[in-house]
Amino acid sequence: MRTGSSRISPKGGTWTGHAPGTGLEALLGQAARGEADAFEAVCRQIAAPVFGTVRAVVRDRSQSEEVAQEVLIEVWRAASRFDARRGSAMAWVTMIAHRRAVDRVRSEHRSAERELRAASHAVPYDDVTETVLASLDAERVRRCLGSLTDLQRQAVTLAYYRGYTYRQVAALLEVAAGTVSTRMRDGLIRLRDCLEVER
Amino acid sequence: MRPGRPEPHTLAGAYALDALAGTDRARFERHLTRCEQCALEIRGLCEATARLAAAAACEPPPGLTERALAAAARTRQLPPAAPRDSAPWPARPAAITGSAGPGYRAAGPRWRGWVPRLALAAAAAATAVAVFLGVAAGTAAHRAGEQQLYAHAIAAVLTAPDATMLSGRVTTGGAATIVMSRRDRALVFAAAGLRPLPSSECYELWLMGPGGDRPAGMLPDPGQGMTGPVIASGLTAGDRLALTIEPAGGAPHPGATMILVIAL
Repeated sequence: MRTGSSRISPKGGTWTGHAPGTGLEALLGQAARGEADAFEAVCRQIAAPVFGTVRAVVRDRSQSEEVAQEVLIEVWRAASRFDARRGSAMAWVTMIAHRRAVDRVRSEHRSAERELRAASHAVPYDDVTETVLASLDAERVRRCLGSLTDLQRQAVTLAYYRGYTYRQVAALLEVAAGTVSTRMRDGLIRLRDCLEVER
Repeated sequence: MRPGRPEPHTLAGAYALDALAGTDRARFERHLTRCEQCALEIRGLCEATARLAAAAACEPPPGLTERALAAAARTRQLPPAAPRDSAPWPARPAAITGSAGPGYRAAGPRWRGWVPRLALAAAAAATAVAVFLGVAAGTAAHRAGEQQLYAHAIAAVLTAPDATMLSGRVTTGGAATIVMSRRDRALVFAAAGLRPLPSSECYELWLMGPGGDRPAGMLPDPGQGMTGPVIASGLTAGDRLALTIEPAGGAPHPGATMILVIAL
């Protein structure tokens, strides 16, 4: 069984790894038993990545705040469903955050695919992505994204930071959907290997 | 494989990026239940997307954590998933579609039975809400403050994200409808067409379950058509709702004859 910190490569020093027992996994376990103090500690660790992820996708600040708060409450509500054998606590939390953010965006833009087809062909390697990737903490992620092919990187970042579906990405990049899905997978595998996260 | 539809396995990356929507997502999730290899791969890919999330971290707005803590104090937590649940990331939320709003699907197998019922009841519940609120507004108008509080409590249950509607026939005549929220551990009961009782008797609600039988309130006199709404709180797992006819003033324990039983 891994410890709370062995998952994270030493090179990934910007990742907020914690000693076993005080780590996010342990705190989530305590929160699942209804301990409010543990949940507060969880919130302190996850609020910034949750809010940042949601804001990248949702954009609107007040809506992002609303969604981020929903995510924190969902983490409390579903804490007992976190299973450390299936991945890290941060992966579980950010998955909830990202899923909820894209669900919010897609419920508002059901016709986004049509809009996208009509939209400019310029690929918006947009301001949020730039800001995000310029931050010091993101340096390692930025370098690893840089090791991807252009199409892999665009597919991954448009999906993750803009909340586009792979079909929307395909329309935007004027590439076959099947190609985009393959590039997303290859790109993530390469990113995973570059970041040396545990499989 | 139909042309134009990618091999399911190649969609693992798109799934980890939440880049599958609608039927694409549903189809892949079906595939995932049969493909252990995909599930494993997705766990690894999700560690990579978690790093993308961490790279996006930015200063949260002031008060975010405090508001979440306050809301958590009012929010019932899910029980652990049953061991047989081997789906990847069982707590992964999916939006409830339809009129139930942007809430999460109640995750996990124990809740599975509630989801279709919720979906089926969604449209009907909207009508029920209107009816209930209409009734609430029409009764006890002389006790405005009290009535307002009561209406608030009722509205809270009716609009809870997990609000579920159930109904049943009353053996002595009439039909009952309840809207319940497990989150709020409460239900709102209303009935139509109950037989009028002599003044020596009354209708009484009960919650019956592993925790014992508890009185859950007496119904007002069946008036014209609708009876209620009445709110009952303190639901626990395994409870059933029962209705009996008791002596006026109520009874400490339910009589022998249940004229309505609804499993909650």
